[in-house]
Amino acid sequence: MWKKIRKYIIPLSICLILISTAVAGCAEEEPAPAPAPAPSPAPEPEPEPAPAPEPEPEPEPAGPTKNSIVIGASRPLSGPNAPIGDAAFGPIMQMWQERVNAEGGIYVEEYGKKLPVEYIIYDDATDVGTMVRLTEKLILEDEVDILFSACGTAFISAQAPVANKYGMVLLTAEGGATIMRDALYGLPYVFISLPFSDHYQLPVFAEMAAAKGAKTAYIITIADLHGVEYGGVAAIEFPKYGIEVIANKSVPITYTDFSLLVKDAKAADPDLFCVFAYPPIIMPVTGEMMAIGFNPPAVLMGPGANFGFYGISFGGDPMTINGVTCFAAANEKTSPEFAQLYADLEALVGWPNLDWWGHPYYAPLVQIWQEAIEVTGTLDQDVLRDYIASNQFDTILGNTYFEMFGEFGGGLMVKDTHPGEIGQWQDGTVEIVGGGDWPGVVLTSDWVYPKPDWPTP
Amino acid sequence: MPESIVTIMDVAIGGLLLGGIYALIAMGLSLQYGVARVLNISHGEFIMLGAFSTFTLYTVVGINPLICLAIVGPIAFIIGFLLQRTLFTQLRTSAPNPGAFEASSLLATFGLMYVIQGIALQIWGADYRAYTYLNFGVDLGGAIFSANKLVILGFAIGIGVAFYIFLARTHMGKGIRSAAQDPTTASLMGVNINRVLALCFGFGAAMAGLAGVLYSMRIPLNPAMGLQYTLIAIIIIVLGGLGSIPGAFIGGLILGIIGEIVTYIDPSLSLAAYYFIFMLLLLVRPKGIFGK
Repeated sequence: MWKKIRKYIIPLSICLILISTAVAGCAEEEPAPAPAPAPSPAPEPEPEPAPAPEPEPEPEPAGPTKNSIVIGASRPLSGPNAPIGDAAFGPIMQMWQERVNAEGGIYVEEYGKKLPVEYIIYDDATDVGTMVRLTEKLILEDEVDILFSACGTAFISAQAPVANKYGMVLLTAEGGATIMRDALYGLPYVFISLPFSDHYQLPVFAEMAAAKGAKTAYIITIADLHGVEYGGVAAIEFPKYGIEVIANKSVPITYTDFSLLVKDAKAADPDLFCVFAYPPIIMPVTGEMMAIGFNPPAVLMGPGANFGFYGISFGGDPMTINGVTCFAAANEKTSPEFAQLYADLEALVGWPNLDWWGHPYYAPLVQIWQEAIEVTGTLDQDVLRDYIASNQFDTILGNTYFEMFGEFGGGLMVKDTHPGEIGQWQDGTVEIVGGGDWPGVVLTSDWVYPKPDWPTP
Repeated sequence: MPESIVTIMDVAIGGLLLGGIYALIAMGLSLQYGVARVLNISHGEFIMLGAFSTFTLYTVVGINPLICLAIVGPIAFIIGFLLQRTLFTQLRTSAPNPGAFEASSLLATFGLMYVIQGIALQIWGADYRAYTYLNFGVDLGGAIFSANKLVILGFAIGIGVAFYIFLARTHMGKGIRSAAQDPTTASLMGVNINRVLALCFGFGAAMAGLAGVLYSMRIPLNPAMGLQYTLIAIIIIVLGGLGSIPGAFIGGLILGIIGEIVTYIDPSLSLAAYYFIFMLLLLVRPKGIFGK
């Protein structure tokens, strides 16, 4: 029997694997115009909104021919970042492509017709080196028209110089850091969208906590760029508001048993317990807090606590985590447009994949791309870069634009576009409870401090 | 109870919990490498499969995770058994020498790792999954532990000891031990070597699956979670002595306890401590604690 199994099953299995791999890896590629060498100086942001695109019903066919806009992305389809990529920018990409193509595509004047959007998406397996190689392949071999963002702060930090080197505009999605902002002076093709630590999450949180009387903070960070960033900024921002950081401990991502750390934090009896780490850490930490009854007045966790899947990870009922504070910008109550966005996303990927921090910033990215292409009528990267750098866009966030860094620098989405910075789980969903003091901030609830007790098991 | 005693209990029980899980994982890999000579890089994927299966059985079907041990263990055993009888037997019989077999089987397990991960991605998606089971505190003389932690500890140690007794006291266990020492002589003495190797691979996969069932009560799951446990298991089997089942068991417990002590001192050094021990052992006692 074994001989027969060996004879038939092994070759059959190998064939099946090869076929499935080949089918999954196949993607049509279209040539695109070569990237132009250098950008023109970045003008200051202008207050006037960009002119609305004027569709031309019967364009004259002229110049080069093209059948689609090819967009390339190196994304974590597997590996540790896959859950984030799957729930964050991924659904926005998918939803936008379906909507645009249902309308016949994006009108590009230089080709005289509407072009559907086609993706080439490679799996970087959550490896920075692989992502960099795939980004270069997308630009040089696949000659994609548009480059979409990789996933994760460390990843976009590595991708930004590559995109910049080849003159490809990069509107980053999942990630952001102070060191990236500082590097923007030399990255004219790079535009950062997602709010991060001191822009303006932790200053807002520190002010909120101080107003409630918080005096001490116990911090756990993941031992990577994200953890260093948030732990460092918290150590600067919290004391400004009279909050003493009594512990700032770093843990490797592979660590799995947090009993001692949580017990140490409980013994320290802090007012604020902050865990600046990813879901593989914040989820077991939350479980351990529930188990040993550690319930400080405020618990701030993220990234990860801003996703629906975090809410249903403790017995399936998001009510169990009421009171947990996270980073969040908007929810379905923020505006009718956001209500529609979250309804569409829920229909597409389900409630567990909703993201109340990232989705409000990733949705405008594709709106910006679409408007830039339609108004400029080209896929030329320099033209697109200059348009994005010098105009304001009417997106789901309202008036949206980038603050440019120096005459030849890149851009950072201005804080005035942020509808909120801090969220809190209340009644089984994330409410927006903290934001800056600028116009346009929409809080959907008050911050509950101290947080309610964990439910009794 | 004095605070220092509570702290020592915290560290000891935390270390034994980690060590118990590590021991199960490492005993499985030790069987596969020590006897079947397959350094199974996909070993961690069986942990992942065990964990995801438990998640589904508990959250969808409502089966108690402890009962899942009786479901997942045998299924993992069958998968491992069939893999050995098909893929690895084919590689072994077609290899010109044992060295070539070890190299080709290593590459095959790399492929197997990606295949299993891909299957898991198709079934469960890339999202994080987690559930809670016995997640409440138990007061042991002033030290509070989550109940699931104590249950995992008890089952991990129990399964490990039971398996050791099986190897030491049963006829089949003697066959496995003899094949581990000298497969050629064992086969001349009447041991069905193909069957023993398949049993070893099956038991190895079952141990990993059981570890996955137990640990799924405490950690979030995703399809890429397996590799880190394979790496830890490799460290442990070197620490305990290649091919030594007691070595893997003791090595797992040692590594778990050392990891917890280092975490108590400085959590950022926990992973570094594992590799430091690994390098130190290679320098001082390359054959491992129980190696011969």
